Amino acid sequence: MVLKLYAGTIASGGSGIVALVLAEKQIPFELVLTDLATGEHKTPEFLAMHPFGQIPVIDDDGFVLYEGRAICRYLAEKYSDQGTPLYPKGLKERALVEQAISVESANFWPPVIQIAREVIGKPMRGLDKDQSIIDAGIVDLTAKLDVYEVILGKTKYLAGDEFTLADLIHLMAAHRLADGGVDIMSTYPGPNVHRFPTCVSSWWNDISTRPAWVKLRAEGIKGII
Amino acid sequence: MVLKLYGTPYAFGATAVVAMVLLEKHIPFEFVLVDLKTGAHKTREFRERHPFGNVPCIEDDGFIVYESRAIARYLADKYADQDHGPRLIPVPTKVQERAVFEQGASVENVNFFPSVLKVIQEKFEKPLHGETTDEVALAGYIAELSKVLSVYDDILSKQRFMGGDEFSLVDIFHVGTGPGLALGGIDVMISTGPNVARWWNDVISRPSWVKLQAEGIKSSV
Repeated sequence: MVLKLYAGTIASGGSGIVALVLAEKQIPFELVLTDLATGEHKTPEFLAMHPFGQIPVIDDDGFVLYEGRAICRYLAEKYSDQGTPLYPKGLKERALVEQAISVESANFWPPVIQIAREVIGKPMRGLDKDQSIIDAGIVDLTAKLDVYEVILGKTKYLAGDEFTLADLIHLMAAHRLADGGVDIMSTYPGPNVHRFPTCVSSWWNDISTRPAWVKLRAEGIKGII
Repeated sequence: MVLKLYGTPYAFGATAVVAMVLLEKHIPFEFVLVDLKTGAHKTREFRERHPFGNVPCIEDDGFIVYESRAIARYLADKYADQDHGPRLIPVPTKVQERAVFEQGASVENVNFFPSVLKVIQEKFEKPLHGETTDEVALAGYIAELSKVLSVYDDILSKQRFMGGDEFSLVDIFHVGTGPGLALGGIDVMISTGPNVARWWNDVISRPSWVKLQAEGIKSSV
């Protein structure tokens, strides 16, 4: 039975990165549209699949899995022999991928989501943005990007010279900042004003222009059979 | 060369997570104290190892890994044989079991950790910086954490541990933050539900954790 993805149509958040892995690896799937606006993710049937009541969830021929980052690892492992390689099998290579995935969650995600909530979340709900929160988020994110600049000065991608899950996971929310008028990722100047483009902005533009991602952003999440 | 663990010496925080893994897996290690109070983690030399200037990190015969959850996975995958204690992570070829493990790991990372961190910062860290705990805010954070643990109670009614039916790294990921709550009279880890209480008592009564609490983190060689 074809894999089912419970998600919305917008390529963002955990749903976006799972959809990207599916596209990069050409894995057939059926989109089961789950409408957050009408609380479909909080029904007893949905909570039986995901006790926290969130998207995405997959049902792979009866095997139900939630948490976007877990689903990404599962698909990358199960389909390691097809499409873009995303999750190396070597012990040390994998450790570096896990290190970078943890860095995303601990260092990158908090300021990104802080800014995104203001510039995307609040306008969507008809609320006013708080510029002081945005400014604080930008200061925090810039400090973290200064470290990413060092890391990306040594390797082309975050865990080595190949694109992996670690880079892909950074597409969860940071692209929404530019949508909300804060294009810090592709204009990040770095600590050395004479060096442009920076490693960070080059890396960001590289991963943001992957064909599978460009298509997802343009067309939304659609099942591929 | 013996593995080196750089970090703080207490049974608290991310260094303790890695120390517990080392003890569970019987991996010999040398502990190198990083004194946060003197800013030892922010020196240029330290940042050669950990560019974000955090602890812990390990050096395994020249190979450096930072981020406790990444270090834990590396150690458990490297020492997966029977001579090294409990497996603590399903092998990658057991794709579904490993996925259930990663699902639990993500639940800790995304749902438990941010919630418990707010409680710890309000209750313990603020007084350390000369600020007063905001009791109303703290009550709110404890309520949020309790909501997360109510879901844990549901999950733990169906599987024995947070990563599946075997004790694993996912459970260990909780020891960096969970045990400290009781010291502040916050008993949510055992009062939220019977399954969470059963699970939590299983985790903190493991000999490796009892030893760490009693003695702190010390070189094993």
